[in-house]
Amino acid sequence: MNKDMLVIGGGIAGIQSSLDLAEMGFKVYLVERLPSIGGKMAQLDKTFPTNDCAI
Amino acid sequence: MLDVGRHPNIELMAYSEVEQVEGSAGCFKVRVRRKARYVDEDKCTGCGACREKCPTDVLDMYNEGHSTRKAIYSWFAQGIPSTHTIDPDHCRVLQGKKCGVCQKRCEAGAIDFEQKDKIVDLDIGAIIVATGYTVFDPGKIPEYRYRDLPNVVTAVEFERFLSASGPTHGHIDRPSDILARREIADLEKEESRLQKTLARYEEKAGATSQSVFETFAAETATPEQQQWMEKYREYLPLTEKLAALRSKAEGFATAKRLAFIQCVGSRDLRFYPFCSGFCCMHSIKEAIIAHEHENATTSVIFGMDIRAVGKGFDEYKVRGGNKSNITYRRSRVAEIVNGPNDNPVLVYEDTQQQKVVREDFDLVILATACAPNEGMKDMAAILGIELNRFGFFKTRPENPLDTTREGIFVCGCAHSPMDIPESVAQASSAASRAVQTVTVTPAKLLKIS
Ligand SMILES: Cc1cc2nc3c(=O)[nH]c(=O)nc-3n(C[C@H](O)[C@H](O)[C@H](O)COP(=O)(O)OP(=O)(O)OC[C@H]3O[C@@H](n4cnc5c(N)ncnc54)[C@H](O)[C@@H]3O)c2cc1C
Ligand code: SF4
Ligand code: SF4
Repeated sequence: MNKDMLVIGGGIAGIQSSLDLAEMGFKVYLVERLPSIGGKMAQLDKTFPTNDCAI
Repeated sequence: MLDVGRHPNIELMAYSEVEQVEGSAGCFKVRVRRKARYVDEDKCTGCGACREKCPTDVLDMYNEGHSTRKAIYSWFAQGIPSTHTIDPDHCRVLQGKKCGVCQKRCEAGAIDFEQKDKIVDLDIGAIIVATGYTVFDPGKIPEYRYRDLPNVVTAVEFERFLSASGPTHGHIDRPSDILARREIADLEKEESRLQKTLARYEEKAGATSQSVFETFAAETATPEQQQWMEKYREYLPLTEKLAALRSKAEGFATAKRLAFIQCVGSRDLRFYPFCSGFCCMHSIKEAIIAHEHENATTSVIFGMDIRAVGKGFDEYKVRGGNKSNITYRRSRVAEIVNGPNDNPVLVYEDTQQQKVVREDFDLVILATACAPNEGMKDMAAILGIELNRFGFFKTRPENPLDTTREGIFVCGCAHSPMDIPESVAQASSAASRAVQTVTVTPAKLLKIS
């Protein structure tokens, strides 16, 4: 049994999964197609419902 | 995002793609292609010196094509990793021409035109697919004329217009005005080029172009005079066009009367019958932010109903109506046509008054559906999992994050349309499902024995 984890896609969902797994002590490979992570959220100015800045 | 780049347990492989997945839960063999950036990730400091003098402009898709970036670029300013990337489709050197300016400017010596893709093989216990979504292409709805009317934009484009780091630095300039300003700039360049040429002729002949033009007769003119006058004939209409555009530009103002059209591609039997869930909320948000930027802004949100289902969402909607000059109008817009001054005109039935209305706005924003991402079919084939009828990854209601292959889980908009809080909640759930796959529990041992 191998315990390393693969997360495909570095949007908010992939970022959160990766951080949770890493915090639990697992080695995580996070593969993102674009030059940087962030996904759609990185394009947003602010987010509902709090209107906090997206990045 | 920063935490991901720094976490000792996370190996970030950006600009990479999964090419092959073999084996089964607990022992997957995964092949990843790390695409050549032509910039050494270990050496690049992200300073950006390389791009300053790059001669090649490329449309910047991070800004939805409303600005340009260089052939060597970072995806966005605070991007993680901050490593720059050379776009092989546009870079002069990689297209076989001469350049290499970036290499000379990079003090870290990170530019490497010889870099090749790298293949990395990984042994993996469980996989989480979080490949997200794309927004529906509104060009598929001919009656909204998205491709023809510059002042009809998508909600993502509008996010970029609202952003201080966006193409208009947070000012809501109208795309038609931006295009006109760009045309003026281009014409001015052309004008100054022609002026220089004409000045050379004038100096040599000791006469003005205008005076030569008045007495010009093609039959008696020297070849040089003929060439001169040819240039002058190019110059005259150009100055007229410039003058007209400049006087038009004096009247340009930021967009203050906004219309938002909901369910563009969603809840539409021609495209996606489902509700995308988050677009009513992002229209309200964008209208609130636009009003924050400029107090005189008014917004009308056109929809069949406003779906503000979520913690604190309905209050947000009501607050927007009360404090941010938002009117909610129940209607499905039938058509958008062009009006005077490039103002889009909406044709719709006001269902409360039972009247067909034509109303013009400064800018129209389309709340486009959450559609399955490009490449979902390929991804599904590589992972050996199934898609549902709309093209999102298939799951079962009893185990909503399990795909059709054991040990592979899905979360976020790759699963179905959902907002950020829900994506985050699913992401944590998917992480715990993945851990269950690779953890040997007493219960599992009992089952085996
Ligand atoms: C205009 C607009 C405004 C919005 N505003 C809000 C808001 O204010 N608040 C809110 O809660 N929600 C908002 N949303 C919704 C929000 O965008 C989504 O909930 C969220 O981005 C979903 O995150 P995700 O990680 O699932 O997908 P994405 O953000 O799409 O991320 C997916 C990532 O996977 C990568 N990827 C794709 N395919 C591959 C592949 N084959 N290999 C490797 N990587 C791949 C992509 O490049 C991307 O980085 C808005 C949406 C829109 C359209
Ligand atoms: S070599 Fe390519 S990336 Fe570098 S400056 Fe020239 S065109 Fe730009
Ligand atoms: S969230 Fe609103 S705009 Fe989006 S599909 Fe559902 S109803 Fe339409």
